[in-house]
Amino acid sequence: MRSQLAGILLAVAMVWPGVCAAADIRLVTADGAITEIVYRLGLESLLVGVDTTSGFPEAIAALPKVGYLRALPFEGVLALQPDMLITSEQAAPQKNLERLSKAGVQVEILPSAWSSEASLHRVQTVGGLLGKEAEARALVADLQARIDTLHRSAEARGYRPKVLFVLAAGNHSVMLAGKNTAAEALLDEVNADIAFADLEGYKPASREAILASQPDAIVIAESVPGQFNIDNWPELQLLDAWKSGHRLQADSMLLLGFGPRLVDAMAAVNEVLPGRQGVANR
Amino acid sequence: MMLTPAGRLDAKPALLTLGSVALAVALVSVSSGAYPLSVADILRVIAGKEAADPVASMVFLEVRMPRFLLGFLVGAVLAVCGAVLQGLFRNPLADPGLIGVSAGASLAAIAVIVLGNTWLGGWLALTGDWALPIAAFIGGSLTVLLAWRIANRSGQTAVATLLLAGIAINAVAGAGTGLLTFYASDEELRSLTFWTMGSLGHAGWDDLVLGAPFMVLALVLAPWLARPLDAFLLGESVVGHLGYRTDTVKKVAIVVVGLGVGAAVAVSGLIGFVGLVVPHLVRQALGASHRIVLPFSALLGGTLLVAADSLARVVVAPAELPIGLMMALIGGPFFLALLLRTRVM
Amino acid sequence: MVLDIRNVHVSLGSTPIVHGVGLSVAAGELVMLLGPNGAGKSTLLKAVSGDAPTRGEIIVAGQSLADWCPQALSRHRGVMPQRVDINFPLTAEEVVRLGLSAKSPGRADELVEHLLSELEISHLRHRLVPGLSGGEQQRLQLARVLAQIADTEGDRLLLLDECTSALDPAHQQVVLQRVQRLAREQGVAVLAVVHDLNLAAQYADRLVMMRAGRCVLEGSAREVLTPEVLDAVYGFQARIVELPEGYPLVVPLGQTRAQTAPLKPVCRQAS
Repeated sequence: MRSQLAGILLAVAMVWPGVCAAADIRLVTADGAITEIVYRLGLESLLVGVDTTSGFPEAIAALPKVGYLRALPFEGVLALQPDMLITSEQAAPQKNLERLSKAGVQVEILPSAWSSEASLHRVQTVGGLLGKEAEARALVADLQARIDTLHRSAEARGYRPKVLFVLAAGNHSVMLAGKNTAAEALLDEVNADIAFADLEGYKPASREAILASQPDAIVIAESVPGQFNIDNWPELQLLDAWKSGHRLQADSMLLLGFGPRLVDAMAAVNEVLPGRQGVANR
Repeated sequence: MMLTPAGRLDAKPALLTLGSVALAVALVSVSSGAYPLSVADILRVIAGKEAADPVASMVFLEVRMPRFLLGFLVGAVLAVCGAVLQGLFRNPLADPGLIGVSAGASLAAIAVIVLGNTWLGGWLALTGDWALPIAAFIGGSLTVLLAWRIANRSGQTAVATLLLAGIAINAVAGAGTGLLTFYASDEELRSLTFWTMGSLGHAGWDDLVLGAPFMVLALVLAPWLARPLDAFLLGESVVGHLGYRTDTVKKVAIVVVGLGVGAAVAVSGLIGFVGLVVPHLVRQALGASHRIVLPFSALLGGTLLVAADSLARVVVAPAELPIGLMMALIGGPFFLALLLRTRVM
Repeated sequence: MVLDIRNVHVSLGSTPIVHGVGLSVAAGELVMLLGPNGAGKSTLLKAVSGDAPTRGEIIVAGQSLADWCPQALSRHRGVMPQRVDINFPLTAEEVVRLGLSAKSPGRADELVEHLLSELEISHLRHRLVPGLSGGEQQRLQLARVLAQIADTEGDRLLLLDECTSALDPAHQQVVLQRVQRLAREQGVAVLAVVHDLNLAAQYADRLVMMRAGRCVLEGSAREVLTPEVLDAVYGFQARIVELPEGYPLVVPLGQTRAQTAPLKPVCRQAS
């Protein structure tokens, strides 16, 4: 404990000039998870604009929106006169990123993080970019500890539950998550498997496939919280997992963003996974 | 404004007016945007003064100028291609989308987006950054050729068959797009959606270098079609009776549309309604003669698209609306109102 | 001969419609093609218009149809189709002007003025064509075709496919008088498909009767329009009244039977 504190103090001392430098830069973030990191590091005052995937925390609503991560406008971003743009590798079009860089904006493109390890690494990277390495390290340590606890709890279950993961953008675009998705990665973090492991990516939901899937738990990720109306999907309600309450309905940015709230997402999912007992009783 | 005895606008004053409007729209377009550029800034950039702010210079020279030029060219070409198809098919509702050119071009582009990492890896390696635009252009041109092959029997091309071929090609291209959409990853799907909506948000000199030669060629060939297309309005057989080589006229028209629409879709995605609304407006105001319709459509189409794009990039600034969406928002209700008002199509 | 058709066969798709027809029209002659529905009249006219693939020989103004340059041919051969549907806002005057090309502007204006007034459609010149009646459109198309062959040196041929079908009786007379004058005064050869036997009797210099893809009879109105021929070709009974004006009037008396009577082809093959 004492050595940890000393480490933090040392780190703070080392990066102190950096913190001063960071204090007056103008920052634009384009990726909800990265915006969350900036907030968790207490640097929200640097933000002059965010993209439309940045919806948390709600304080962001007042900031100018530069549009969608995958269609970043050159002039729109430049007009905010940012010193730095931090975004993920999902950002597009490439040409506009290059132009911003040419116009003197420091453009940082971070790799997508689809594991707890990569997610924490990204926190550290953002901290480094903004001169808050020590704060980032502290945040990472805190998150790491909670994640470790969750990992142990999930391991203790002794089996990998099968989870039906639904991605809902309104009632009509309802997709089932398959392999090679952030959904699969999230489930893996809590020692669980995706129900439709033979699907690649997200595919339109087949009502019959839902009925036949017999999952141990159901997770519904909503792109707009509260938008998914379960009454339109009676098949889900017919599943044992639904009836027995092994179900979760939450914001897709929380569940799939792999930001600082990853641990909350893991906890929420882990909560609804049945232990061995629950499975045996069915 | 003076009206002719037929209740139309007089062509010369109309040309002056539209030309002035086009010029005004051009000035507004290059001087407006999310990034603040004053007229003084622009003048300094144009004058090449060393005092010019390098960022202002970049915004004006590398972003707004190519975007304005590309927008104008795409609008002009789409409107002219719409007018040519409408004349050829003798149907005021014919549209570049109709014979499947747009669908073919977009299918090829979507194939590159979705299959670029797997089956079409070689294509990506070969074409690099240009993979998407070149594919869209090839797809559009091949679709015109395909429609031509299907419809052309023993040297004669029945327009009805060509239309049916277009419907079939649209259906097949639509199915192909649907299938690719199904296999697309989440990420590919989203970039695909934005591409199919049509956008000038990435426009640069490289897009102009790629698209402009084809589009300019289409615009240069089109006037040759004006008189024969007038004859087409009386009927396909009348074209021959009036002394034009019907099949040659049709071939040139198809080449013009293939070049123009293929290149336009390649550089800006799917932008609808320009080809439909603009020639219609011109005909209502100035008559159906193609010697009037073609040049006026080019001017009005370019002006309209640039105006819509200027609006699209300030209305939700600092974000931008996709221009395709913008055109649909403006063009859709407008065209419906037009249909309800005129009744006679 | 301005038009010489020799042993022409025409098929539409794979169906043979016209079987070895020979026919000629001289300068200044007004020839009308008669015959029941499906006899091949319009198809034969299509062949001469260049709109149907043809076997045999068609010579227009001394040159085989296939050898003509389209632009030059359009100055010598005017074609008035059965129907023209215009969906676009062209004015009547613009339609007539489509028939004109390399003429001086002054002469063009004068010609348009003249044709519009002769066909009694001057008042429509600025009206949009889609709003005109069928008869007005038919006269307009004739004006356009006449503009096309006006002022041409040498042989001229005018092909008319049921050019009076949508006209009221008064305007049928106006139009056919104009066509007749064109033949008589300017030496234009006219080949016209008509259904109205009495108009044919009144205006044609020569009638050609077709049945089942062949020419079966050719001659003056008095020779062709007899009760026997009408009965054999069309299958109806008629009384023929000789008018003091010098041509016969056909008064139908009712249908008798299907057109099955044997009729020996007497059409001469053009030499």
